[in-house]
Amino acid sequence: MELGLSSTSDKGILKLDPRTKLCLLIAISIIMVGGKTVGVEYVLRVICAAIPFVLLLTVRHVKSALIYIIILGISVFCEGSVIPNISGAPNLILMIICGIISRFVPGYMMGWYTVRSTSVSEFMTAMDKMHIPYFITIPFSVMFRYFPTLGEEYRSIHDAMKMREIGQSVKNPFTYIEYVLVPIMMSTVRIADELSAASLTKGLSAGGRRTHICQINIRLYDWLLMFGALAMIVLFFVF
Amino acid sequence: MIEFKNVTFAYSSTNADGKSIEQGSISGIDLTIQNGEFVVLTGGSGCGKTTVTRLINGLIPHYYNGTLNGKVLIEGNSVPDTPIFETAKKVGSVFQNPRSQFFNVNTTDEIAFAAENQCCEPAEISKAITVTAASMHIEKLFDRNIFELSGGEKQIIACAGINVLSPDIIVLDEPSSNLDSEAIEKLKAVLTDWKSQGKTIIIAEHRLYFLRELADRMLILENGRIAKELTANEIKKLTADDTEKMGIRPMMLPEIHCSHQDTDIQGDVLLLEDFRFTYKDGKHGINIPRLELPASHIIAIIGHNGAGKSTLARNICGLECRCKGTLTMNGKKLKAKDRLHNCYMIMQDVNHQLFTESVRDEVILSMTDKSLTDKQKAQKADEILTQLDLAEYADTHPMALSGGQKQRTAIASGIASSKPVIIFDEPTSGLDLAHMKQVSDQLKKLKDMGKTVIVVTHDNEFILSCCDHVVRLENGCAAENCSLGK
Repeated sequence: MELGLSSTSDKGILKLDPRTKLCLLIAISIIMVGGKTVGVEYVLRVICAAIPFVLLLTVRHVKSALIYIIILGISVFCEGSVIPNISGAPNLILMIICGIISRFVPGYMMGWYTVRSTSVSEFMTAMDKMHIPYFITIPFSVMFRYFPTLGEEYRSIHDAMKMREIGQSVKNPFTYIEYVLVPIMMSTVRIADELSAASLTKGLSAGGRRTHICQINIRLYDWLLMFGALAMIVLFFVF
Repeated sequence: MIEFKNVTFAYSSTNADGKSIEQGSISGIDLTIQNGEFVVLTGGSGCGKTTVTRLINGLIPHYYNGTLNGKVLIEGNSVPDTPIFETAKKVGSVFQNPRSQFFNVNTTDEIAFAAENQCCEPAEISKAITVTAASMHIEKLFDRNIFELSGGEKQIIACAGINVLSPDIIVLDEPSSNLDSEAIEKLKAVLTDWKSQGKTIIIAEHRLYFLRELADRMLILENGRIAKELTANEIKKLTADDTEKMGIRPMMLPEIHCSHQDTDIQGDVLLLEDFRFTYKDGKHGINIPRLELPASHIIAIIGHNGAGKSTLARNICGLECRCKGTLTMNGKKLKAKDRLHNCYMIMQDVNHQLFTESVRDEVILSMTDKSLTDKQKAQKADEILTQLDLAEYADTHPMALSGGQKQRTAIASGIASSKPVIIFDEPTSGLDLAHMKQVSDQLKKLKDMGKTVIVVTHDNEFILSCCDHVVRLENGCAAENCSLGK
């Protein structure tokens, strides 16, 4: 699985603005973690749990959407029907596990959807439109570029260790960490150095606002969803 | 017009003891490059050609620190006194390492990056990208993950980014060092196009054959000075003997002639059977039902990028557990796991395989024979280091060594591991003539020790200098397997 933001632009049916996704993410996290399982809040929770499922389907992540809904279904079923009928330690353990799943997994899945369906340039453009300064957004974009690099470097070093038959015989974890970290640090420092030089020759230090070829717009359904998220938060705090 | 007036530059750096030192790079360079000229800079490693490119694109003195004397002018404006983003509008740069010159993950974003930084109108950038795509035939590279592209494709993306902003001057620092011959042809087409548009091109290179028809002028640098200057006509007349004397790589791509195919291999044989392996994308992989290689010889594996050369090397080495193939050697059938104990690979980036604090420890780490005492190990290590001219660096930290010395340290560890098969992955990428010859001498030494040496390479000059046998891969299959005709 790839780390970080999507590398290519969105091919899904419903193309949401990154800002809409952030609004929904906040609303879902607040309501799912804090909500009670009765009354209006129960309705809000059902809606919030369904949003990531629908959105994952719109970007054709059918498998993860199904896994998500099955796991959530099982834990809700356990909370409703199994836990009241058992007692003692199993009751406690099951309650903790199901509680964590039903409260945190929807927010997590919404976060995962946001990451997988947003490309780096969409993210940068959205941050820029929200007037977030460059000293925050540029390190972020470098970070997204660095995850795959770290992966490549780690794989090469792992191969080298395997071939030199070290690593398996090293009993001391600190020695293992040293053998992995030192070469990774040496090569990432070198890559970072070359990368900075290359970015400078591409004019990254130029003052003024960068332009973006990436088009993001807040459309009608973005407004509706953002309004919906806000309404849910208001309802949640009122009741 | 680019002018260098009596330019001297020394990098300031710190030595192994932590003291700051000045490392001389170029001294007293006088040079005038006219608009539209195509200038090739060449010479041995450390001759100062990269420094010249950095002075033009402003990285010196804006990024690399040191002492600069003399004047560098572009159209009469002093480069050191111009902010680097202003210079970036006029000078485009392509670098040696395709992996580390990208700021973005997505190809289209990267192509637009330089133009976005200069605050061009998005509509105009998009238009320029469409034009570039058509002229360079790179539509299929758009909107892809850069990490999935080959080295050659990455260099083409770097060139496309320059095309979008379209500066008048373009400097390239060893752009071909990681490319195969097919990718070099594509690079050559881009350079030809730029030249016809009247752009000023300055290229620092070791491999020269693809520049023969393009170069208007070639400067050979030696110890930071211009030792020789050749005109277009003189360049075209250069013979292999001339370039050999000047210590530079030949101007013609030497061809590899195979002797009659399928001749019986004399002596011991390494037999590869059922080497089938497919990557998760389902497209790339190898499919070699049977392949015989001569033992104790130097065997080159050639083929285009993506033909499966590195995959074959990794599988021979036993790094892919999913490969069910076997290697028969001295009557023993070796599975992937056993092959790990019999093969040793020198990686393209040797930094990944040096782990310890001194060169001697590095060699000792490879000695897995438990019957040896520490003293015996140290003695044996010193013997190996002497063989490879590394004795004086025995106590040095491997990361403080030069590229060639690091590579020799890795070779020394390979010898110490007493594994019979030693595999090299692109050992000569980015090397000048002298260093390439040094590597080929190392390989011959290994052969004399009775090791079987397998080299993955696309450097024809290098193959001719030392290899005995060639395997050419095409789409993961062995298309040719023959001894090398002399």
